[in-house]
Amino acid sequence: MIGLGRYFKLIRMLFKFALMRQMAYRAHFFLMITGKVVRMALLLFFFQAIFLKVDRLGAWNYDQVLLLFATFHLVDYLMSITFQRNLAFRLPQRIQTGELDTRMVLPVNLLFMVSLEELDLMDFFSSIPAVAFLVYVLDRIGFAFSWGQALAYLTLMANAILFLFSVVLIISATSFWTVQSHGVSRVFDNLMKIGRYPLDIFEGFWKVVFAYLLPLVLIAQVPSQALLANLTPGFAAFGCLVTLGFLVFALFLWKRGLENYMSASS
Amino acid sequence: MRKLWFVFKLTWLERLAYRVNFFMEILSGVMSSLILVLLWMAIYRSAGREVIGGFSIEEMVTYLLGGGLINSFILTTAENPETSQSIQDGSLSNMLVKPMNPYWIWFVRDLSMKSFYLVLGFLGYTVVFFFFRQYLTPVASAVHLGYLVLSLVFAALLQFFLFEFMSLLAFWVENTYGIRFVMRVVMEVAGGAIIPLSFFPGVLQQVFLALPFPFLIYLPMRIYLGKIPLESISWELVKEALWIGGLVVLNRMVWKRGIRQYVAMGD
Repeated sequence: MIGLGRYFKLIRMLFKFALMRQMAYRAHFFLMITGKVVRMALLLFFFQAIFLKVDRLGAWNYDQVLLLFATFHLVDYLMSITFQRNLAFRLPQRIQTGELDTRMVLPVNLLFMVSLEELDLMDFFSSIPAVAFLVYVLDRIGFAFSWGQALAYLTLMANAILFLFSVVLIISATSFWTVQSHGVSRVFDNLMKIGRYPLDIFEGFWKVVFAYLLPLVLIAQVPSQALLANLTPGFAAFGCLVTLGFLVFALFLWKRGLENYMSASS
Repeated sequence: MRKLWFVFKLTWLERLAYRVNFFMEILSGVMSSLILVLLWMAIYRSAGREVIGGFSIEEMVTYLLGGGLINSFILTTAENPETSQSIQDGSLSNMLVKPMNPYWIWFVRDLSMKSFYLVLGFLGYTVVFFFFRQYLTPVASAVHLGYLVLSLVFAALLQFFLFEFMSLLAFWVENTYGIRFVMRVVMEVAGGAIIPLSFFPGVLQQVFLALPFPFLIYLPMRIYLGKIPLESISWELVKEALWIGGLVVLNRMVWKRGIRQYVAMGD
């Protein structure tokens, strides 16, 4: 418990440092938040524009698509506030420059440190309207869900974060062997955006890819379906198992990478 | 002129040194276009309609992929960070003692980068074009093709002067990235990169059309698809030229005032 308390204290300190660092340029800080909120609003207009022309996207009506959209953005924000940039862009840089050495000697778990070292508080503050939007969407669907469905929703959102953490770690851990991992991270960053759409409207090859091979359905569709009671327990369990598989592989790659790490500094 | 040609060539060489990174960036753009195309194909299928919002599936796929290609060379280079960086870190002082106007160096570097990304974009999109070849519609006519090329040149100029203006604000503000980021976010949607602007509700459409952004993708793709009468194209290009002219004047004013109060610390 003492160990856990230390990590909470560390998170509090990281939050404080991030706030000090990012508030150094106040106008820039607030403009970035504005930009992110505007981007979300414009994407919302995009969905509105689609629904001006069609009634449904596959089996999904407008409100359900909004729930999917809000869920995706919340998961996306949780990821970008915490580990995304740290693992995808900063870790490869630290491996290449040998800066990772200085983190290795700290008396904390190395993966914890490199994942959360620089919290993104711009995204933290930008996520507040996203939470408000989710509440608005829940109101639109009339809060028509049970406690069990809500619990499944939250659990599967946590599963989504863990899944994304694993994928991002797998990509960034390859930087122990190659110098191009951040390019792949950028590609994945764009690819995962497909998770904001209902992926069951795809057919054939792409349906198999997004449901099973690279199950981006786990990001927002599966949690949303759980809240709407449109998800079979079997697929929910499958989703959790897939995440576990990705996580085990990611941790394995991370460990092998560390064994392989020889530091670049003098 | 010869000096500027060297700047153009050097910028290409710089880019070539990191070609894999830049290709990955293009690949990300290709991925975004691919996602949009797949989404729209699924929308057409699930709606069971041939035409949605005045666009057939073929026109929509062509619009999105063509828009993606334009995006790859015009919007990818969107933020003109060099200008504001040079002002902020004082490296502008170095440029000022060279026998070339820094403004022209930035301009030529931007054109060079756009041409580099255009080539990479073509490489990346060729595969996607091949994959969706049965959906691609050819350009409406040879005259439309001529107008398309002209509108793309104008779009490249317009984009440069828009963002250069934002970057030059670095003479007065410490960090211009936030301003450029907001601009870029609005530009992607209001430029018509993710959906034709005619799909948006009336008021929003009017707001977007009053901005310069639709000239970047929406106009070139409407020209390509023949969705704008030939006689209206010239007027649209004149309006775009007026935007460019206005921005050139504005940039000149900002540059002159900014350079007068520019201070760089050094040892």
